[in-house]
Amino acid sequence: MSIHNSINKGKEITVTIDGKTCKSTFGKTILDIARENDIYIPTMCYLTKVKPIASCRMCIVDVEGVEGMILSCQEKATDGAVINTKNDELNAERKNIMKLYNVNHPLECGVCDKSGECDLQNKTMEFGLEEQGFTARDQHRPVENWGHISYDPALCIMCEKCVRVSTEITGDEALKIKFGGYGSTIVNSKQDKNYASLGEAAAVCPVGALVDTNFKYTANAWELEKIPSACPHCGGGCQMTYEVKNEKIYRVTNAYEFTTLCGAGRYGFDYANKSVTKDAQAFALAVTAFENADTILFSSQISNEEALILQNFKEKKGCKLISHEARSYQKFMQAYSTITGKSLYGGTLKGISESKAIIILGSKINDDAPTVKYHVNMASKWHNARVTYMHPLEDLEMKNIVTQFIKYEVGSEEGVAALLVNTLLEGIELPKEVRSYLDDLDIGNLSAESNIGEEELEFLAKSLLKKSGFSLVVGSDLYAHPKAEQIAKLLALLEEFAGFNVICIPPAGNAMGVSLICDLDDEVEGKTVGYNVPADFTLSALGDSDLDMPAMNQQEGTLTTNDKRVVPMNVAQSYGGYTLNDIANALGFNKEYTIDYSKALPVEKGYTEIAFDDLPDYFDSVGNEYRGYLLKGIKTSVSRTFDEVSEMGAFDGAVIYNCNPAEQYSVFTAACSLLKTEAFLVGSEQFATVTKLKDGEGITFTVDGVDFNRVFKIDTSMKGTIALNPTFDKGLSGSLLSSYRFSRLDFERSGQ
Amino acid sequence: MGLEQFKNRNVGTQNYTKLDVGVKPATSMDQFKQVVKRTFKGELFVGLWVTLREMVNALFLDKMHTVKYPFEKMPISPRYRAIHDMLRLLESGHYRCIGCGLCEKICISNCISMDTRYDENQRKEVTEYTINFGRCIFCGYCAEVCPELAIVHGQRYETASEQRASFSLFEDMLTPIDKLNLQQEYDGFGAVSPNADANIKKTPLAY
Repeated sequence: MSIHNSINKGKEITVTIDGKTCKSTFGKTILDIARENDIYIPTMCYLTKVKPIASCRMCIVDVEGVEGMILSCQEKATDGAVINTKNDELNAERKNIMKLYNVNHPLECGVCDKSGECDLQNKTMEFGLEEQGFTARDQHRPVENWGHISYDPALCIMCEKCVRVSTEITGDEALKIKFGGYGSTIVNSKQDKNYASLGEAAAVCPVGALVDTNFKYTANAWELEKIPSACPHCGGGCQMTYEVKNEKIYRVTNAYEFTTLCGAGRYGFDYANKSVTKDAQAFALAVTAFENADTILFSSQISNEEALILQNFKEKKGCKLISHEARSYQKFMQAYSTITGKSLYGGTLKGISESKAIIILGSKINDDAPTVKYHVNMASKWHNARVTYMHPLEDLEMKNIVTQFIKYEVGSEEGVAALLVNTLLEGIELPKEVRSYLDDLDIGNLSAESNIGEEELEFLAKSLLKKSGFSLVVGSDLYAHPKAEQIAKLLALLEEFAGFNVICIPPAGNAMGVSLICDLDDEVEGKTVGYNVPADFTLSALGDSDLDMPAMNQQEGTLTTNDKRVVPMNVAQSYGGYTLNDIANALGFNKEYTIDYSKALPVEKGYTEIAFDDLPDYFDSVGNEYRGYLLKGIKTSVSRTFDEVSEMGAFDGAVIYNCNPAEQYSVFTAACSLLKTEAFLVGSEQFATVTKLKDGEGITFTVDGVDFNRVFKIDTSMKGTIALNPTFDKGLSGSLLSSYRFSRLDFERSGQ
Repeated sequence: MGLEQFKNRNVGTQNYTKLDVGVKPATSMDQFKQVVKRTFKGELFVGLWVTLREMVNALFLDKMHTVKYPFEKMPISPRYRAIHDMLRLLESGHYRCIGCGLCEKICISNCISMDTRYDENQRKEVTEYTINFGRCIFCGYCAEVCPELAIVHGQRYETASEQRASFSLFEDMLTPIDKLNLQQEYDGFGAVSPNADANIKKTPLAY
């Protein structure tokens, strides 16, 4: 079942393919049904995750009673159809197509990066082409380097997969086709942006035309050991495969047929804590530090198993567990579940991609959660979904997807949520206490405070009229908001009573897993031990602390993803030092490996009792996901009480917004050589006027006790008095930034 | 040599020398007689005469058979699989290796290791190429698989050295650029020796 036309409610049909009776449902294409039944139809341009491209015509089949050849990739099967996928005529046609693909294709397989996993190579062999009957005058086509990826037009077979991925999936819309018959090429219309998301376009390339510049000519496909894993950078936990040779990660690939990897996942792989040896002295100190610790601080860059080890520490020693981002998310979700009565939000990523209308609230989603943005983009491209983007800052990167941008005042999220809920729940039957609460809202006042015009909300309501399948994407601006719990309750009403497909994007790394597994505390006290957080005794995977820890690509374990799935990670790079489990064992816990805890993950929070080694990690031939397992939603108690919507604190003057650029999430992505980004405070000209800052001027300021020393840059595409302040380069202290993402800017100049 | 000559199975027309092994003594008296005869016949001087003749040949008639190894070496068969050579293109002098990695893949003792990169001219450049001669079994697969005739087996069969690493770097195996004109084309796996025709003799069929 392909992602884009999954009509499960369709009528049952029976078709015969190559003599095999195949039962399926109406709405599926012939190719889909064939693949479901393990019948092979050759294709060159077909990519399951996008709409049929139909440029290669290799998938032709013969349908009895229908004249001519049928393109199986886009033709829906009808009941009783008798289909033949192989006969001499089809074979001759396919052979000719393959010959045409091979016209002037450079015979440089010896050096080509794709050699060994090349579709053209495979199919040329498969069809046994001994001779070439076609010719064309060859033309000069120089190689183009587009930053992260390189394009060799001479190798390109114009299958258009990359263009479709760039528009339909990643939504950067950078790649275009330049038509011109035999001279057609792919062009990158946004070369100056150097989108890392184009890595996905390179991944789907069936030949060596689009390759990662960094990987180009460094290794051959067959030399690399493939290690399946999950990406730990954001909460997405996307499927990925590390490709390793001689203890070095050469590249990251993915099951591109069904899943998508963002730029950070694809290019952020070299952050391992290398050449660490066992330092027994430091280890002894660490054990003592844990024994005497009153508080354990940790970041969300942690596996479920490690989180459980820390929770075990807490239960045994009674110390406090502090993980700021996960704690605010935990509180948010707890408040959320008091309305829905379920421990998890109800939405799924697939649900987003199938929505007809999507509201994004409180997230600069293009930078915060690219995979979620991809699904929003899919809905926009496939279902013409209305996308409403609610944020204090307009995001030009989202311009081609967003149909309505609703700007609100910084800090007014509670009012915004109330207004939104009030608008969307109009005319829907609600419990009395909820209805009366909504009726009591002072809409005029809220509207004035949040600066959202009533006509904007009316327009939103109107655009949703006569549509069904709504999604709400909730972002991390809201979790650390002073009234986060109230906001959570309000938004939960949309899931509970309006059937919204709601996703609350975890704020960082494995924050979702941490929030489910650990009982987190709010206040730091006494002696502290920090895991990837600066503390009295610091353990770190960056290699500059009291005791080294393995980075996420050096350890086994599971992650909890924003799609409510528990997925396994495997070891891509060896690690010679001590792990958290060693410390746990020294403190009296007795498990040989960290992954022995996989089985012990809390069942009462929705985890399943299954050993790490038994976790599946694959996609079947039609793209059904078998990676780890899905979290179970657990029933919780319902209590629908709301507070008054309070006055918001004014955020006038210059405001900074803690927001990393796309492809940067944490200290670990910052350590990756391919993602090297310089951190600037980026603001509009208006921001410069308000703060009297000049372009290139250096300033210092403090957020949450973390000192920033930033150079200010003017971005003329931005508007308003909010500047973007990246945090990825702040080392371990980055995870101390835990308060509301917007803050007033009090700064001192530090020179040019 | 034509095929018809091979088809001529008449061994008798060829120039084989049959050894005269004489008659084996039958009785103990005969054996005794043979001992006495050999002792007093003076065959020793026959041997000494041969030595003297060869000495004169070698010293005065320039017919020395001794090869003054290591200053002189016997020519070896092109099939011989000695330490590898890396050849250059004759026109440009650039090394032939394109970095395809087939030798690395086919090597059954896993002794070839290479690294390549994307160079400034957008070509594949070989940055590292080593053969671990401690592991190499000189099977010749690398030379056989090489699509560019870049890696070949050379003639350097002396593999005794202070350390084997002296052979194993790309630069050491590569034809020195000033000796490009001396570079020998490799006749390849299964090549015949230069004097193969002369060496051919019929196998006697009648044993």
